[in-house]
Amino acid sequence: MTQLTAAVAAAADAVRANFAGHAVEVTPDGAGGAFVIISDVAVGSQYTPAITWLGFHLNAAYPASDVYPHYTGVLARADGRGLGEAISQTTWQGRPALQLSRRSNRWNPVVDNAANKAERIVKWLGDR
Amino acid sequence: MAWRPLNPPAEGWSLTLPPRLWADLSGHLFGDDHEHGAVLLAGLADGPRGPRLLASRLILAADGRDYIPGERGSRMLTSDFVRDAAVQAHDEELAYIAVHNHEGLSRVRFSGVDLASHERGYPALRQLTGQIVGALVLTPQAAAGDLWLTDGARTPLAEVVILGGNLLRMRPAPAAATVRDPRHDRQARLFGDIGQETLRALRVAVVGLGGVGSIIVELLARLGIGHLVLIDDDTVDHDGTNLPRLIAAEPADVGRLKTHLAARNARRANPDIELTIHSARAEHPDARRALATCDWIFLAADGPAARHWVNATVHQYLIPATQAGVKIPVNAETGDIGQIHAITRLILPGHGCMWCNGLIDPTELAIDMHPSRERQAARYVDEAPAPSVIALNNLAAAEAVNHFMLAATGLHHHDDDLAWVIHRPRTRERDLMIPIQQADCSWCSSAETLGRGTRQTLPEKPTVGGRLTS
Repeated sequence: MTQLTAAVAAAADAVRANFAGHAVEVTPDGAGGAFVIISDVAVGSQYTPAITWLGFHLNAAYPASDVYPHYTGVLARADGRGLGEAISQTTWQGRPALQLSRRSNRWNPVVDNAANKAERIVKWLGDR
Repeated sequence: MAWRPLNPPAEGWSLTLPPRLWADLSGHLFGDDHEHGAVLLAGLADGPRGPRLLASRLILAADGRDYIPGERGSRMLTSDFVRDAAVQAHDEELAYIAVHNHEGLSRVRFSGVDLASHERGYPALRQLTGQIVGALVLTPQAAAGDLWLTDGARTPLAEVVILGGNLLRMRPAPAAATVRDPRHDRQARLFGDIGQETLRALRVAVVGLGGVGSIIVELLARLGIGHLVLIDDDTVDHDGTNLPRLIAAEPADVGRLKTHLAARNARRANPDIELTIHSARAEHPDARRALATCDWIFLAADGPAARHWVNATVHQYLIPATQAGVKIPVNAETGDIGQIHAITRLILPGHGCMWCNGLIDPTELAIDMHPSRERQAARYVDEAPAPSVIALNNLAAAEAVNHFMLAATGLHHHDDDLAWVIHRPRTRERDLMIPIQQADCSWCSSAETLGRGTRQTLPEKPTVGGRLTS
């Protein structure tokens, strides 16, 4: 198995630091990248459940590549409305999931990274 | 173009210089009739015929300050200059190669004074840097090198390879005449017997074996390329829609790997050809390793992952590539057909790249890098298949292979012609395009990437039991 690239390993460490207090599972993808799952992420009381996991793929081309898409556990809106655009039902890493399709159209490895994009995704989901 | 010797690829240690670095070095060395000096810092990689040193940084020695009259020979690098360059070689884990020029044109060798200075200085320099150290002496057409390896061995450089519009291979003296290959007599009347031997000695990769790539394989095999690396994980579509565009494909090929068809065609064209087959995508670690040991790469796959990894290989391993493809824009709503174009893009290290020219989208790259079982779902919006026509594909394939064969045999008129070529068949135009290079590009403009070879990709973080958990 190809080990994590230095950039992926560093990004995984940065995610751990950014989400301190959360369990962060990093599973190598066999090609230098990794699947990352952050546990117990609060997404807001407008969702049921209000706490879920957040996952994404850090591929071997990172940080040249965007981190896209993101995944969470299956959520429903507490008010019964639909989840809205850019959110779809899927299966990821063998588990039922929601896919959050949020592109970074001006992804720039100098300023964008896996940790701050994960933060933005959580905020975007919480603001909906 | 003045005549110059054509040398076939040589077995043994080589040093490769990217075009801009060579322009700077040759301008420094050959701008007048005097002797000048410099230091090259070089990465290291395996190559098709032996280890490759990859020129990553050039440190020019200023005449009178860094390069001064010598105590035993005509000129010498000052101890301060050598120390600073050696420290940089140590810190960046790059080989240290001192360079100077001699008079003459097609032959060169170290003087006795040169060799004595190597024997006095290089054992200590090797110890100081912990890296390969050595020297290179150049004329405009010849090169000789003396390498002191980290295991204590000492070895000559077999060749210096200059990348550009032509691939220049410089040795201490022109290669001797070679054996005629009667099978390729008609094309050897263009390339010469040494040119034909050059093609036979090359290892060339083709990434993507579909409409464009299958034609490229056929052309390369019939030209007499000695070793092809074939990379594609795809199979011939079960509905047979690939068959009209794959060279020599038959109805029975439906469902077969495209590598199978390409290998069959290559062997039919040249029974002696050596093949390395990776039925995998370009980002697969085995495919990436195979790419890194080639002389040239043809990129005929559409995906951003293939573009990214070939682009990275070009700059990191100093391997030229040609991207070839066809775009047929059709408006999905109106059916209007836009300007069809067949394009070949020459990607040379340190000279503009696919990132600089907006040819890789970071989000599409992220999608394309997903495991196959998740890739389609990650895309969110399904894409319709693009139009594709064999005759249009042939425009791009032929342009790409013609450029390559003339570069490999030194027959292009201009070494510095690095332009891309675009055909617009609907308006019967053929134009040259100059690629853009972004000053802050982390691939083609960064010394952190350029020529770093295997040093750049060594994984630094071990996995524990296949899974890491905080």
